Amino acid sequence: MAQGSIKKADLGKLIEAVRRDGRFFGPIDQGDGACLAEVTPDAVLKLDYANFTLPPKRMFFPRSEVIATHEASGMAAVPVQEGQVVLFGVRPCDALALTYLDKVFVDKQFTDPYYRSRRERTLVISLACREPAATCFCTSVHGAPDGRAGADILAVEVGEALVLESLTKAGEAFMTHHAKLFASPTPAQRTACDAQASEAAKKVSAVPIDGLKAKLSGCAENAGVWDDIAERCLACGVCTYLCPTCHCFGLYDEQVGQTMRRVRAQDACTFPTFTQEASGHNPRTRHGMRMRQRVMHKFCYATENFGDIFCVGCGRCVASCPAHLDIRETITEVSQ
Amino acid sequence: MRDVQDKLRATAKDLLASGKVELVLGFEPASLPMRTRACFARTADAAERLVWNEFCSQNLAAYLPRLFEKPAHIRGDWTPPKVAVVTKNCDARSIIGLVKEHQLARENVVIIGMPCQGMVDPEKAAATVDERIAQACLECVSPSPIGADILIEGQSRPAAADRFQRVKDFEALTPAQRWDAFVKEISKCTRCYACRQACPNCYCKSCFIEQSKPSWAGAGDDLADLLLFHIGRMFHQAGRCVECDACVRACPMGIDLRLFTQKLVKDVEELFGYVPGVSLDDLPPLCTFQSDDSECFVTGPGEE
Repeated sequence: MAQGSIKKADLGKLIEAVRRDGRFFGPIDQGDGACLAEVTPDAVLKLDYANFTLPPKRMFFPRSEVIATHEASGMAAVPVQEGQVVLFGVRPCDALALTYLDKVFVDKQFTDPYYRSRRERTLVISLACREPAATCFCTSVHGAPDGRAGADILAVEVGEALVLESLTKAGEAFMTHHAKLFASPTPAQRTACDAQASEAAKKVSAVPIDGLKAKLSGCAENAGVWDDIAERCLACGVCTYLCPTCHCFGLYDEQVGQTMRRVRAQDACTFPTFTQEASGHNPRTRHGMRMRQRVMHKFCYATENFGDIFCVGCGRCVASCPAHLDIRETITEVSQ
Repeated sequence: MRDVQDKLRATAKDLLASGKVELVLGFEPASLPMRTRACFARTADAAERLVWNEFCSQNLAAYLPRLFEKPAHIRGDWTPPKVAVVTKNCDARSIIGLVKEHQLARENVVIIGMPCQGMVDPEKAAATVDERIAQACLECVSPSPIGADILIEGQSRPAAADRFQRVKDFEALTPAQRWDAFVKEISKCTRCYACRQACPNCYCKSCFIEQSKPSWAGAGDDLADLLLFHIGRMFHQAGRCVECDACVRACPMGIDLRLFTQKLVKDVEELFGYVPGVSLDDLPPLCTFQSDDSECFVTGPGEE
């Protein structure tokens, strides 16, 4: 494990070093709060953000991508991209979500080459949270403001400095490669890191997760429960597209001029067309059935299939729902 | 405002207790501060949950087509419910529009009109009182409810003098600048359809963007597909949009859809003298034709 500290004012030097042979993405204010965007020499990093509006899953599993083309000569897969990418400022909840997506897309039997190649060429530097938002609940779902899972390096802001700690071999190699930019963190800085994390954890809201799977299984057939919860839902895709773990997608063949292309695009279980079959029949006729799918998939089926709850408590679905539904309330309601 | 809320609760309880309606659709506190959410009150007791404050911004008319749609599992006769809706004037205009477009029968809905002081934009909540009011409410020319069945007494905010200043500034740009501004906004779109789902006018059972025979657009986030969706959705709002701002509030990406839909509102008002959602009797401009109708929207904005 490598450790190091760097002054925030000197981050530009690290970015410059990375950009010599790769791309560097970080939190940049583009007018609507911080978003994870490619850092150019004149860009100003914004470090006082709760989280990005869109989850970093898009860097690995985009909203849509062309995966194959078909011309007269036959069908061809789109080649995977190469070159190092560094993501800086990913929040620990979103980094944890990547470990869940890994289980879906880098399965031993079925591996997604596009997702895997992006994961392999990308170094994730997460940034510990100091000021969790009112909608955060990471500590209830296996996360923490300084959670380490899913990232290669954890960075913590301490005063005017960032204290970095490598978490993987790739992270250690990165810090060794750029060793001359880092100083040794002082004992006081290390103590401050832990103190800040426990202070931040106190501000995170709590949700009753214990025994949730059994309770969910118990009310899975109770349509009334789900119809009540779904009554307010407007059936848009905000919660799923902003979710760092939602990974359902559809495949579409589109004609562009004389060529066909196969597009993979994210889908959303909240849309009425989600399970619509070619015949026109849809087994999920009511809103409540789709709401049940969303909640059960995250908190019940995922634990059966992958051993984890597919929610990291980032709170995006709570903060951005146009009908002000709150997954924390839904969990609490079905727990009773 | 407390006084207005008490009157609202008393009215709702009376409507439910007397059996005049089965459901009062209003607002209740949501889980976050400065937010309310839809309250589906079906008993006089439940009506105690109703609130009225400066955070009741959602346009509840968006729920109505669903409530008046015959459930798929019911065969034979079905009696639609009687529903009372707590409305600001913009929401009431949406209901009038839905009645006009045969999505519900006027006799099945009781419009409870609330005095409106303007809704707070939560993004601006740290600012001083008048600066906190949402842009759409600052531009509202009829904050006091008209055409309500039951009018809750109270003070509404003063009407805006000129609501189209931003549109006029936009119109003054060159076509290339307007296109650039439009593309810049729309490229933020993540195609979650929150704007469509929150809009009372978007009740189509099958939206053109999701049709597959024929398919009008790709499924991804190519700019061309984003533009096609938004241009299509906006044009379907011509002569129908009541400027309630539901699409803008719903958008997680902060897209300024209002500027563009308001341009359509202004064009329809100036060219055809039509204001949607005010009267049940006048014909919508898309349903009528007169030989002297202006065609300048074809040749170019502002040209006669």
